Amino acid sequence: MRLKDKRAIVTGGGRGIGRGIVEAFLKEGASVLTCGRSSAPADLPLNCAWMTADVANAEDMDRLAAKAGVVDILVNNAGVQVERTVLDSTDADWDLVIGVNCRGVFNACRAVLPGMRSGGSIINIGSVSGRTADPGMALYNASKAFVHGLTRSIAVDHGPKVRCNAICPGWIETGMLDAGFELASVPEAARQDALLRHATRRFGRPEDVAAIAVWLASDEAGFATGQLFTVDGGMTAASPINPGIF
Amino acid sequence: MKLEGKFAFVTGGRGGIGRAIVARFLDEGATVYSADMSAGGSLDRNDDDGSRFIRLDVTAEDECVAAMNRVRNEAGRLDILVNAAGIEIEKTIEETTLEEWNRSFAVNVTGTFLTSKHALPLLRSAAEQGASASIVNFGSYDGFIADPGLAAYCATKGAVHALTRAMACDHGPEGIRVNAVCPGYVDTPMLQSFFEGEGSGGGGRTVRQLQKAVCDVHPMRTYGTPEDIANLVNWLASDEARYASGQLWILDGGLSAQVQQMSP
Repeated sequence: MRLKDKRAIVTGGGRGIGRGIVEAFLKEGASVLTCGRSSAPADLPLNCAWMTADVANAEDMDRLAAKAGVVDILVNNAGVQVERTVLDSTDADWDLVIGVNCRGVFNACRAVLPGMRSGGSIINIGSVSGRTADPGMALYNASKAFVHGLTRSIAVDHGPKVRCNAICPGWIETGMLDAGFELASVPEAARQDALLRHATRRFGRPEDVAAIAVWLASDEAGFATGQLFTVDGGMTAASPINPGIF
Repeated sequence: MKLEGKFAFVTGGRGGIGRAIVARFLDEGATVYSADMSAGGSLDRNDDDGSRFIRLDVTAEDECVAAMNRVRNEAGRLDILVNAAGIEIEKTIEETTLEEWNRSFAVNVTGTFLTSKHALPLLRSAAEQGASASIVNFGSYDGFIADPGLAAYCATKGAVHALTRAMACDHGPEGIRVNAVCPGYVDTPMLQSFFEGEGSGGGGRTVRQLQKAVCDVHPMRTYGTPEDIANLVNWLASDEARYASGQLWILDGGLSAQVQQMSP
């Protein structure tokens, strides 16, 4: 078990990628506290602790850090997306996306860092969309670029004590991916087209992201810090031209 | 005129993008040596009358040396070297023969090495006279992300990118700037050949349909012209770009700014 005796916080671990990370961490021997804005999902593993908390709220993150005590691992996974261009985005969209995706990561890092054990690991969930743009996702794309920048800053500023890296998932089978396809005129056709853009000919699964999160959390990754690790089935290695046209 | 009084040497100067660069440099007042494998494709203008055309295989070191000797004898210095000569093999690595692989590297990478190596003394002379000496290499957006069935090409362009940074580091202190332009899809004979190969290769689509499909994937909804690329090369060659060195300049109509375009 690669995370035996380690204590972890995973934000937004109720479903999707965060849930995959929670389950992988538990399997590797870590004790895990996770949080979400609602009450604990009924199917949450029994050995996972839950706190109802909003990452966008600094007091909630202070409570989360206090409840966790000394920790080795913080995974900033909680995130939201709004499928809009700049012109279509409202002030409420800004508050939501920037509040959760940017301020949330800041709040959690600021609250948890002081109680982190030396040798600890912070893992932020960035996105391929933080490097290149997904059309019609302006605030989301920008928020993930913020996460990438903050990842490097934390790695540089707190390097002797903790490592900090970001994972950039591509298209992962979650409710967020389905929401993206719902924007297409023929969602199923869009899904098939998107599959052809992946060298692996499949979308990612939460466990694919969890696999690298486990590695980054483990002592095996002791020299890895300040980096962005893309796990996208080869999608962004290929030109956007590829391969629907040729 | 931005390049008044400057001496320029452009490889691949009679084809596609190189030809547009020669035309632009002439417009900007430079004295331009246009080098290519064959003389066809001269510009329809009096100042591209063939007197400064140099037949050159960039993979042959003796020819590169002879070309630069001629520039030394006639001009005494060189301000601008543009390495625009390049070839593209449209195959996966499994389909690519060793001969094709070696040929790709010989033209795209070794050619850039050889012309630059033998131009350096002339570029240094220009720099010593207080001018801004500039080498512009040709990378590609394919050196960052891959198009299918272009393996050797993608690899050569990645090599050019790294070589560009290395040359910039080594020769910056001598007053020589080195940059690479990385075009996306540009309307050239190379692109037409790619379309024709794909058009006959399956899918039942005409070249025109392929062209439109490719345009539609670009945020600008069009692919570029050789003149678009020449605009950037002109700037990088000019004294305005005196602080620009060691960089890879992507010019692709926004193509690679996207993750992937979702089907509408």
